[in-house]
Amino acid sequence: MYLSRSSSFLGPIVFFLITITLYPLAFGSDEEQLAELASGIIWISILLANLLSHQFIFNEDYKDGSLDLVLASGKSLFVWASIKIFVNWYFSSLPLIFLSLVTSFMLYLPLDAALILALTLFLGTPILSMFGALAGALTLERGNIVGSSIVIPMCLPALILGILAIQSYKNEEVFFYIFLLAAFLFFSIPILIASCLGAIRLHFE
Amino acid sequence: MRQLFNQLISFPYFFKIAQISFPYLFLLSISVILLGVLWGVFFSPVDVTQGEVYRIIYLHVPAASVAQSIYYTMVIASVTYLIWRIKMASVFMISMAPLGAIFTFLALFTGAVWGQSTWGTWWVWDARLTSTLILLILYLAIISLFSSFDRRASTDQAVSIVVLIGGINLPIIKLSVEWWNTLHQSASITLSGSSIDNEMLIPLLISILGFYLYVTAIGMRRMQVEILKREISHNWVKRIF
Repeated sequence: MYLSRSSSFLGPIVFFLITITLYPLAFGSDEEQLAELASGIIWISILLANLLSHQFIFNEDYKDGSLDLVLASGKSLFVWASIKIFVNWYFSSLPLIFLSLVTSFMLYLPLDAALILALTLFLGTPILSMFGALAGALTLERGNIVGSSIVIPMCLPALILGILAIQSYKNEEVFFYIFLLAAFLFFSIPILIASCLGAIRLHFE
Repeated sequence: MRQLFNQLISFPYFFKIAQISFPYLFLLSISVILLGVLWGVFFSPVDVTQGEVYRIIYLHVPAASVAQSIYYTMVIASVTYLIWRIKMASVFMISMAPLGAIFTFLALFTGAVWGQSTWGTWWVWDARLTSTLILLILYLAIISLFSSFDRRASTDQAVSIVVLIGGINLPIIKLSVEWWNTLHQSASITLSGSSIDNEMLIPLLISILGFYLYVTAIGMRRMQVEILKREISHNWVKRIF
């Protein structure tokens, strides 16, 4: 489904590239300055690009009725929702992680920092996807700004921890932040998916 | 005890209680706030380092305290709603969220005025300020959820899910923001003791009490309005008016 509808697949990628291009144009192409800002730029762009895709996670199935079938079939909604979220992450976030490696060179980020960046994104983007899924599930009937205003404040810990890890890539502290980020990820998996189910069910009561 | 609780969560009974107690509670809260603030502004000693301007503490601290407490009570209400489906809990959340937003804004505003004269800037990206700002955004997001559903029950459910997730997430956000940056003075009043002189502390505590009473009074009024909106076609409403 993601591949067949190129807009949902390519949308975040194009958006991400455009945003990354905008920052040097706005802040100037000074090498040191860009290297300093790079981690923040990439994280913010990914956060924003994620907002584009979250309404697609459940919306399609809701509209064409497959969601009713899943509910009626008595199969585990939990598994179904987890798979949907994973597929969404696979197609909208994973390409961005690889792209971020490329763009980090364009923004003069050192290689070590770029690898840490990719690692933090690897741990952080599932969190964004799950919050996005929650927002998407809440606003199934109409995708609107409400979803984004819920997602962004909730995702802040991921953003902060990710950027702190990248900034301290030279010393030992980096592991502290990465472990915390991983802890946040594993902590939020059951809670967020469970609340997604609650949010989906409220459209069928 | 149980019977009292059951009575309080029934709409007509709560409406009656609120109707009777609102004027007293409101007047009491106003007078307690006036007592605390006037005492603080005119009779408590001047701060040695910060001068007269510290007196805004008598608005700032109560507002910030109330703003956070409202959120925590909303979290309790959301759990109550999600588990027991008590409609009063959702009425409570929906009535309190705008109040919380207002008090968060008040706390930020008085804080900015205070910061301007003691730190020299209106705003700094410090941990507490940032997390209060996020609290404000969260309140606004919850308020914007109110109108995005057609059915009452969906709104209630959605609001309580978001409030609950926000409640779990708020401590995490606070902690991560704290690692990120800290400049604000740490809390001066804790359960174990206080670093404020008694002469300043007593009016401050009175003022805090006043703010809580005020929120209780106004919150009850707002809940009454919300109940009326929901139950407008019921017989007990028609009997009252």
